[in-house]
Amino acid sequence: MLIGGFLRLCGGSSPAARRAVRQWAGVRARCGGAGGGTMSAAVRTGWRIGAAAAAALRGRAGRPLSQAAGEGGGAEGGGGGGGGSGSREAVERLVREHPVVVFMKGSPAQPLCGFSNAVVQILRLHGVEDYRAHDVLQDPDLRQGIKDYSNWPTIPQVYLNGEFVGGCDILLQMHQNGDLVEELKKLGIRSALLDAEKDQEKK
Amino acid sequence: MRGPLLAAAGGAMGGAGGPLARTIRAKLTAALQPTHLEVRDDSPQHGGPPGAETHFGVLVVSVRFAGLPPLQRHRLVHEALRAELAGPLHALQVTARTPEQWQSDPRAPPAPPCLGGSKREQRRGAGEEAPGQQ
Repeated sequence: MLIGGFLRLCGGSSPAARRAVRQWAGVRARCGGAGGGTMSAAVRTGWRIGAAAAAALRGRAGRPLSQAAGEGGGAEGGGGGGGGSGSREAVERLVREHPVVVFMKGSPAQPLCGFSNAVVQILRLHGVEDYRAHDVLQDPDLRQGIKDYSNWPTIPQVYLNGEFVGGCDILLQMHQNGDLVEELKKLGIRSALLDAEKDQEKK
Repeated sequence: MRGPLLAAAGGAMGGAGGPLARTIRAKLTAALQPTHLEVRDDSPQHGGPPGAETHFGVLVVSVRFAGLPPLQRHRLVHEALRAELAGPLHALQVTARTPEQWQSDPRAPPAPPCLGGSKREQRRGAGEEAPGQQ
């Protein structure tokens, strides 16, 4: 699993960087084109639809998606106390708005942190493209608020069914030991890797 | 683990690594009595100036983790490093195993590649220099 060269890659979400992260995660990518590194048309379409929806929400509210969901909060600075986007109430709303919610740096289309990218890539390997992703770099109040809410000091943070499951290290572990497939199943999400295994069994 | 290894089992208070590395090693040793401890400074891979201690990975092998799910194990590590995580420690990769688990699988995942973080955001946009933050 240890791949020496990839540590030197600092190239953003280039195909090479994505391939490196998949190698780091220790799983062969079966999504989309053979040989890894490119997204299938279906996956790209799914992300575009999601991105368009997010953009529409932003346009309507004039604010980032995370703040739009926390409507009613004053969003005046001052951190998590009085109903801003980092308040307990606002965060609670965000973690419950979808079975899979991720707080990260950057976006699934363009992660800005290797750990956040790893979460995105792992979800992608399981065929999970429909989820809520919040870019904490866009919202300092949320950035602090999510850490206070989960009592967890770092980003990314993954919530399944409103419950905090961990960051990148834990998600990777769950992916490698099969727990993630199980947890997704409980949410009614069928992991793409189950289909991959089935195909292999048939051969 | 890749990257400069700054500590090995045995609890020797060596001079290897910067002050934060030594603090991390000391606090984890005191809190968790590890049978094996590795502290890896990943900061050079994240574009900080030389000597910046911001991104670390730790491998902690301890009987204290027995019976605890990963989330609770990581929380124990975070608790030991609460002050550092509230301060200069920007990112912390954690591998937490019991001695039995470590014996059956003595490998630890390396850190994922850096993608620039908030520094990259700022280079694209405002042009305002800010230290990497959690």
